[in-house]
Amino acid sequence: MLTGLFGDDITSTLINIIWLAIFFSIILLFNQRIQIWNYQRNAERATMKLQMLAEKSKEEALANIQKFAVEGSDIKSKVNSMLDFFAIEPVDRDPFGVLMRLEHILNNRRDRIKAFVSQVAPKAGRVEAANVEDVLEAAMALNFIFKVVRHFLLLGKKTKSLMIFVQLDMQLPLIMKIADAYYKAQKTFSSGKPIGDGFGPLVASKLMFGLPKRVIAEDIVCSELNIENRRVYVIKAEGPGGFVGKPGEAIKKLIEELEGKVARIFMIDAASKLEGEATGEIVEGVGAAIGDPGPEKYKIEEVATKYKIPLDAMICKMDLEEALTTMKKEIFEAANLLLDRLKKAIVERTKEGDVVIVAGIGNTIGIAQ
Amino acid sequence: MEANRRSKISIISMILTMGAFILFLIATVINHSYSQIIMFGGLALLLASWAIFFFGYKQPQIPIERVLTIIGCKNCDYKEERQFMEGDYIFKELGPCKKCSGLSYIMGIYSVTIKKE
Repeated sequence: MLTGLFGDDITSTLINIIWLAIFFSIILLFNQRIQIWNYQRNAERATMKLQMLAEKSKEEALANIQKFAVEGSDIKSKVNSMLDFFAIEPVDRDPFGVLMRLEHILNNRRDRIKAFVSQVAPKAGRVEAANVEDVLEAAMALNFIFKVVRHFLLLGKKTKSLMIFVQLDMQLPLIMKIADAYYKAQKTFSSGKPIGDGFGPLVASKLMFGLPKRVIAEDIVCSELNIENRRVYVIKAEGPGGFVGKPGEAIKKLIEELEGKVARIFMIDAASKLEGEATGEIVEGVGAAIGDPGPEKYKIEEVATKYKIPLDAMICKMDLEEALTTMKKEIFEAANLLLDRLKKAIVERTKEGDVVIVAGIGNTIGIAQ
Repeated sequence: MEANRRSKISIISMILTMGAFILFLIATVINHSYSQIIMFGGLALLLASWAIFFFGYKQPQIPIERVLTIIGCKNCDYKEERQFMEGDYIFKELGPCKKCSGLSYIMGIYSVTIKKE
C-alpha cells in the first residue's frame, strides 16, 4: 500500500512529498486568503451592480426632473449634490420629547426636498412635484446603499479583514433585494402608477368616492359617510400625487373636534409579509397600523389612549418589492375583500349612532378619491 | 424552483468531486499501468464538477409584467380593460360612458404577470 503511495524510487517519493507539502501549505497558509478572495469577489460584483443601479436611477431622476425644468438650466450638478442629502436623527440619550424633535427634523427634511423640487422643476404641478420627490427619494436611497456597500468593500480590502467581508457577504442578498425594490419603485413613481403601499388609501378611496371632501391635515383629506346608521369619517392622503401626509395629525384633530366621542378607529395599511405567506392576505389585529418613523404613530396612540378609543388594525400582506412597485392584481382585489370585512366589523363592533374613524394609511400615488 | 435547481446542481457537483477523489485515491494506491488512465478519469470528473458548479446555473427567469387600466361606469356595468397610459390614476373621470353615456372612470390599475421569458 505504502509502496504504491510513495512509488518505487526515491524521485517519485520526493515528488509525492513535495506535492503533499504544497497541498498542505495551500490549505494551512493560504486558506484565509482564498476565503477573502472569494468573499471579495462577491462583494465587488455586488458593488458593481449597485453602482449601475445608482447611476441608472440618477439618470432616471434627471430625466424626470428635466420634463419640468426651465430650459437651459443646469440641474445635473444640483441633483448630484442632492443625492447625498442627509438628516441627522435627534439625540436619544435623553429620550424626553424625542418624537417631537424627530418630527421637527423630518419636517425640515421634507421641506428641504420640496423646496429643492420646486427650484429644479418649477413647471411641475402639485401632483407631478410629489411624484418627482418620490423619484428623487428612490435615487437617494440607491446612492446611499451603493456608497455604504462600497465603503465596507474598500475597508475590507484596506484592512484585509475576513470578518468585514464575511459580514458584508452575509447581508448582500437582503441588501440587493432592497436595492432592486427601490430601483423598480423609481420606475413606478416616475409613471405615477399606484403602488402596493397604496392599499390603505385605495380602500379609503373606495369608501369616499363621490362624497364631499375636506382637507383636515397636511396632505390629508376626510369624508363623512353613513354605514348602517354609524357616522364614519374616512381619511386618506390626498391623491393622486405621491403623498403620505400626516395621518396621525389628522386623526388627532378629528378626535379633538369630536371631543373624543369616537367609538372605534380602524386603521388599514400594507404590511410586510413573512416568507411563505401569500401576497394580498388580509389579517386583523389591534394597534396603530402605520409604518412611519414614530411621530404619527405616537399621536394616534396618544389620542386613542387619552379617550380610551379601541384601535383596530387591518393589514394586507406583501413584500417590500410589492409594496414599492405597481400594485399587483392580488393586492387590488384584496381591497374589495377588506372593504367587506371592514363594513362587517363596523356593524359588529359598534352600535347604531356611534362615530367611527377609518384611516387608509400609505402612499397614495396613482389613487385619487 | 430556482433554489431547488441550485441545490440539485450542488449535489451533482459534490458527487462528481467525491468520484474524482476516489479515482485519485485508487490511482495513487494501485501500482499498475492503468493508474495514469484512472488519474485522467478523476481529472475529467473534477473538471466536469467545476463546470457544472460554475456554469450550470441558468439566469433566473424574469417575469414579464403588464400594467392594466380597468375602466368602468358609474351608471351601468360597462367594463373595459386596456394598457396603462401615462396620466392614468384610479378614480380619474374619463367622460361619457360608451354604453349608457353615464360617467366613465378608472376603476383600477394593477399589474399582472403574463408569462416568463
